[in-house]
Amino acid sequence: MRSSFFGFNVAISGLYTAQRNLDVINNNITNVNTPGYSRQQTVQKASRPMSMYNGTGMVGTGSEVIGVKRVRDEYLDSMYWSENMNFGEWETKKALLSDLEVTFNEPSDSGFNKIMDEFFNSLQELAKDPSSEAIRALVKERGVTLARYFNDLATRLENLQVDVNDRIETTVARINSIGAQIQQLNRQIYTMELDGNTANELRDQRTLLIDELSKLINIDVSEVVVGTLPNGQIDSRLVITISGKAFIDHYSFSELTVVQRETKLNEEDVPNLYDVVWKDGNTLKIKGGVLKGYLDVRDGNAGENGSPLYNGIPNYIKKLNQFVQTFAMAFNEGYIDLDNNGLIDPSEDGRGHVDGYGAGATASSGIRFFTMLGEDYKSMSGDDFINGATDIPDIVARYSKITAKNFAVSSDILEDFNKIATSSTPGEAGNIENLSALIKFRINDQMFVEGAPEDFMKSVITTLGVNSQQAKRFSANKEIIVKQIENRRLSESGVSLDEEVSNMVKQQQAYSAAAQMINTMAEIYDILINRVGL
Amino acid sequence: MRITNNMIINNMISNIGRNLARLETYQRKMATGKKISVPSDDPVVAARALKLRTDVSMINQYKTNVEDAMSWLEITESSLANVGEILQRARELAVQGSSDTATAEDTKKIADEIEQLKVQLIQIANATYAGRYIFSGFKTDTKLLDDDGNFLIDVSNSESIMYEIGISDKINVNVVGCQLFNDGTDATAGDPAKLIQNMNDFINALVIGDKNLISDCLTKFDKDINNLLAIRSSVGARYNRLELTKDRLENDLLNFTALMSENEDVDQAENIMLLKNEENVYKASLSAGASIMQTSLIDFLR
Repeated sequence: MRSSFFGFNVAISGLYTAQRNLDVINNNITNVNTPGYSRQQTVQKASRPMSMYNGTGMVGTGSEVIGVKRVRDEYLDSMYWSENMNFGEWETKKALLSDLEVTFNEPSDSGFNKIMDEFFNSLQELAKDPSSEAIRALVKERGVTLARYFNDLATRLENLQVDVNDRIETTVARINSIGAQIQQLNRQIYTMELDGNTANELRDQRTLLIDELSKLINIDVSEVVVGTLPNGQIDSRLVITISGKAFIDHYSFSELTVVQRETKLNEEDVPNLYDVVWKDGNTLKIKGGVLKGYLDVRDGNAGENGSPLYNGIPNYIKKLNQFVQTFAMAFNEGYIDLDNNGLIDPSEDGRGHVDGYGAGATASSGIRFFTMLGEDYKSMSGDDFINGATDIPDIVARYSKITAKNFAVSSDILEDFNKIATSSTPGEAGNIENLSALIKFRINDQMFVEGAPEDFMKSVITTLGVNSQQAKRFSANKEIIVKQIENRRLSESGVSLDEEVSNMVKQQQAYSAAAQMINTMAEIYDILINRVGL
Repeated sequence: MRITNNMIINNMISNIGRNLARLETYQRKMATGKKISVPSDDPVVAARALKLRTDVSMINQYKTNVEDAMSWLEITESSLANVGEILQRARELAVQGSSDTATAEDTKKIADEIEQLKVQLIQIANATYAGRYIFSGFKTDTKLLDDDGNFLIDVSNSESIMYEIGISDKINVNVVGCQLFNDGTDATAGDPAKLIQNMNDFINALVIGDKNLISDCLTKFDKDINNLLAIRSSVGARYNRLELTKDRLENDLLNFTALMSENEDVDQAENIMLLKNEENVYKASLSAGASIMQTSLIDFLR
């Protein structure tokens, strides 16, 4: 015997189901532009049927919505995270190397070549008229310009290093902030899912945070199954590790922090740079992401002293230092390491500025053209600079104190340009034998392993150009890969308005049909109750 | 593949962005006229650009050096020409003075003239170029001879002033005073210059009136004239070499400037075409994007 109003109940379940579906569609449509949102679908099934007692089969009892699930491919997420890490690293390097290129300002009409050209051209002019005071003053000024060029470049490189250092601190702070938010979400998601539901929106938010985190640092994300809950659900917990150590483990969260270095990693570094470590004191090896990009560029010195194997800022400062040391030593003393064994033998001591004489009958030799800025930021005299050294190894050792930042024209020359040593014999105004030797340094291709001075700088610029080009290409490639994965995710989880609108029409029709069904039922009961038998 | 709204929009944004970036590249090339603006645009071009700039700058410097060397040699040459005329005149006078018909009155007059020529020679020996004594070897700030024709300074044949006119290519621009005035032997300060000494000998011979001694002077003058000719031809040869070098440097400058331009300058015609093409692509992508963004199923429902 069936219940009299059975039909109404079936039709009402149809109305409810259509309504619930419309709610989900509505939610999807409003979240079409929400970042990280995954479209949701209702899980709908036919209600439990009723068996007829007289053995005439089972009668359906309508439909019901038993859940709302999000459409998400978690495999795509993990792919996205590992590629996003590479993208973060190379995008950072690309930006920083572009800054470096701008700093070097080559090729241009005001870069190294121009300054070197002008310095040597002034020496050429002096060679034609060694007694001219005007030209001597010009040589002095061009020498100062050359020194200032290196001072300025080194200062700008150091500023860039400090700037990157600050950004490392900010990035670590951001990583910690994301960690704290994920920890919070873990708690909420776990509690909400205890009863077997899926916390769709919260999971979306968490994935979005992990997306951001994956760009900053290398992470491994996994949901570890730890057992089953009393209700039979799988009990899984989210674990995020950085280089093997847990950053987030379910409810617990281990922070990163920065500490100032006590000893410099590279001798070219500015003091007190940050090391990124675990707050509990453990060391951390960063293998990817924006943070690695920053660290490589800030510390990279081609792998020396345990620095990253990358040509970063210290590497360029080192090259500049090497340039000014070698150039000043050759120009002042005439030392050129012909056999590239790192030592100056007596046979490698050629004619340099100290071997010549300036203008005037009483001019003496032993004047050095280039020295360095002393502690008071004033140019040192040649004698103070060389500090009484007389043996070749001792003199060479003095030159290792010159850096691009303190490179300067000696105070002897600054005070009296007549001391520019042009002559090989005192008192000979037209003698330019010493000056000719100095001019030759410009094309001396044995001064550096790379060749002449300009070849050395050319190789520095080319290295930078090649590295920057590589970073640009890698960054572009990784960006394409990340975008592709992002597209696949959007294809899987994104909201399609066309689809939602079609579903809306579909559900609307189902709703009207169910409503119509109620009408029909009402008519049937009208006949049964109002017209039959009375 | 399922296509969603945000996919379309994201793709459109990134594609339009990429088109715009390419457009910007051509636009920048157009505005700067250079193929590269930073080394990473093309490290090879950047390296060559650096090298070529140095080459051009060096060639320019060598060119000015050559021009300065030429003017130094021109001054030297005109002094040498004057010395030649003086010696020629002295020789003529020696011929006159040595003839049997020359009276004591005549030899006296000749001696007066020679005295003047001697003073002229000393003046030439102290000739200057831009304030520098051209015959004084390395001591360009000191006169070569005093008023009596004695050397004021030590001058040796090794004091050649060399101008650089190319990589490892130098030219001697001066004639050292001892070559011309001391018969090619190194001079010591205080010694009389041999050329002036010859003049003095001649004056003495004229004053005494000894025809044999005057004839001796004639041979000495012949020797001096030969010496001078040798020096003049050497100066002439150097001047020729400078002219050739100048021509070559001018050609080099032209070639290197062309190379530099070829290396780093943009082919504007090609660039404009590419720019226009890119502009069309960009506009097309904008209009395609705009039309696809506006339509959806909603437009067609009732």
